[in-house]
Amino acid sequence: MDESEAAERLARHGLVMAIWIPSVFVSTALSHMGIIGGGAWWVAAGFAAIIIAFIAHIILNAVTGTSFTAGETALGGAVFVAAVICYFGALLIGDEGVRTAVLMPVGIGLALLICAVIVYLVIAYGPRKAFEKFDVIRDNNLRAASRLPHRGGRR
Amino acid sequence: MTVILLSLVAAIGLYVLYFAARVARLGTRPAAFLDAGYALPSWSIMFLTPALAIAALGMQRHLFFVSHYGLQAVHLGVGLVLVSAAILLVWNRLWFATRVAGFSTPGEGLGRYYDSIALRVVVMMLTFVFVVPYAADMLSSTAILIERATEGFIPRASGVWMLAIMLAVPAIIGGWLSIVISLAMIGVLTVYLLPTSIIVAEILLPGQGFPQDAIGVIDGVLWDRLPGVIQYSAGIGKEIPAPGIFTTVAISSTSLALIGIVYSPVTLYLGQTVRAGGAFGITSVWLTGGLAAGLLVLGMPYLAARLGDGPLGFASSLFEFEPLLGAGFLLLLVASGILAVSFFVTGGTIIFIREMVLRYLLPELSPQGQRLSARIGLGFSFFIVALAASFAPTISAIVGSIALPMAVQLLPAILGLTFFAWISRGAILAGLTIGALIVLFTEPLGLVVFEALFVELPWGRWPLTIHSAAWGLVFNVLIVLLSSAATLKSPERLERDRFHRAMAMSMPAQGNWGRSVFWSVMLLWGFLAYGPGAILGNTFFSQPIFTDLEATLGIPSIWVWQILFWLIGVMIIWWLAYKVGLGRTTETLIKPIEMGSPDERRIPDWLSSGLTRVTKKSA
Repeated sequence: MDESEAAERLARHGLVMAIWIPSVFVSTALSHMGIIGGGAWWVAAGFAAIIIAFIAHIILNAVTGTSFTAGETALGGAVFVAAVICYFGALLIGDEGVRTAVLMPVGIGLALLICAVIVYLVIAYGPRKAFEKFDVIRDNNLRAASRLPHRGGRR
Repeated sequence: MTVILLSLVAAIGLYVLYFAARVARLGTRPAAFLDAGYALPSWSIMFLTPALAIAALGMQRHLFFVSHYGLQAVHLGVGLVLVSAAILLVWNRLWFATRVAGFSTPGEGLGRYYDSIALRVVVMMLTFVFVVPYAADMLSSTAILIERATEGFIPRASGVWMLAIMLAVPAIIGGWLSIVISLAMIGVLTVYLLPTSIIVAEILLPGQGFPQDAIGVIDGVLWDRLPGVIQYSAGIGKEIPAPGIFTTVAISSTSLALIGIVYSPVTLYLGQTVRAGGAFGITSVWLTGGLAAGLLVLGMPYLAARLGDGPLGFASSLFEFEPLLGAGFLLLLVASGILAVSFFVTGGTIIFIREMVLRYLLPELSPQGQRLSARIGLGFSFFIVALAASFAPTISAIVGSIALPMAVQLLPAILGLTFFAWISRGAILAGLTIGALIVLFTEPLGLVVFEALFVELPWGRWPLTIHSAAWGLVFNVLIVLLSSAATLKSPERLERDRFHRAMAMSMPAQGNWGRSVFWSVMLLWGFLAYGPGAILGNTFFSQPIFTDLEATLGIPSIWVWQILFWLIGVMIIWWLAYKVGLGRTTETLIKPIEMGSPDERRIPDWLSSGLTRVTKKSA
């Protein structure tokens, strides 16, 4: 990687951070307010902030002609999994008030995030290629012959 | 509140440090530490500029004004449209001038174009005002806010040093690129937190708020209208007009002062070092004139109506409902200060190093040496700023108050460089001298010193409610026009003409953009938005002039006027950016030329002999 390419990657990273950090802060504040008693609409506003940042990130990718990097995908996935674990943890061991506050709004919010990712993948890659991104079984055949086009190989 | 606020400030510090480390690890050539290779990412300038424009107003100061003077102070928000126009008019041409003639800094550009060392010195002095007193004042007021928010846990002096170290280390590590990239994120944070705080407060806090509740202004002040076209007052410090200080001439002249942020050497340097593209158009039309001005015009009245107990009281009210948002509102104020301090100290020091050290003191320095000298300079500058903010906050505030109006006095010089070849060196220097003197004597610095040494002056700060920037600029321009008329055929004109021809050839051809219609609309808009015509807005929508009927809007007429002329202003800026073509820059047509006398990088004789004497003694 030459100097200018590295600088470009860093500039893009800076822009991604500039989009996500304020959004995550506001989202955390609004969601927290909703969970401690503010109500479902605040949680919804918190998830809206996340979805706005996600859309901004997609626009960024389109403008700069890039895609989500491996690190971004991994971080996004890890945070989402952590959020889901916290969600089920709260449902299992949280008191009645927390369960009531969390169950519907956070559950719907998490489901909406999954929907947003699916919609993005379908729009960006089309249904077939979007599915192929998760088709690990197809990529799991190590035989050289599996790479032949008529055997469905695409590596 | 204390723990959350300090954690958030620390998080910002870590973020800036992280980017500094990332930039340092890029391993770019050492000279890029100073100028980012003249290829700052376009998005960074897009997000940073609106935050700088808000910083020019001074977030804390603006909150004070709107909560004490109501909608007359809110009108200043429309002034950001003028800032946007200034960005387009000047940055675009200066960007081309930089590429055509190889100017490394604004001071070098003006100095070489007018062939004047004096002008370079003037720009250096102005840079100093922004770097030390102006930044020290910002740093001190931010530290005071932290002291109050933490109920004395972080005293003012400790806050000053804490912030100074937090900003100095990343600047020393990463240089210009890292600071601009990380401040851009702080700019986004600022613009994000302001509407969030307002919307949440409107939903949660008790009371009806604006417009049902009036803004709790000082007794006698007209909160929902402008207090006239002009007030015959001697000025702040002598007398304050009872109905308020924001007359139409006060608003237009204060808006003029705001564009000083665009003409400050550091901000000009930001415009010079950005890469080619459409950054100027997007930042001026949509983000500064559109978003930032819109937030101030639409959001500030709501905020002002709830600021009876000041920003800290407002933050405490929010904190009761959501701790993160309460601390977030204070972070918005702190971040605005941090952004201004970091930007001006880092950029100003880099300009100083390039103009002073690399040109005169150590002209033979290697690129690595240049970077080292910049790092030493940055450490020294932050130390001096922290020292001034700790031990001389009042002096810093007094001297810092001249920064913006003094920067505005550069306007004729910059217009000469970018547009009008007939403006001559002598005219610029004469105009600058008169303009600077008038600014000095209509601001506390000149008034305090003169009255302490000699006699009481009959006027105070901003006499007749006209800002010092406008007082100075009127006489400045007058002198420039008269002197230029007398020097139209001077021999230096040939060189300036050559430069302007080269610059015109380097820019894309402009189509038919309706020049006369544009300027007619611009003047009419200016007259009604800021000029004497703005007074019509007091009753235009509540008591229409062509009928005896009264309209019941439910909101003050002047607010509707402000919103209307803000929107029209955005359209005018859009015209300037995209129809006139000032919103885009491209390198495709650029043909560099040699401008002025060769850049002699040699040590002045007096300095050389002084150095020799010292080194011989030590030997």
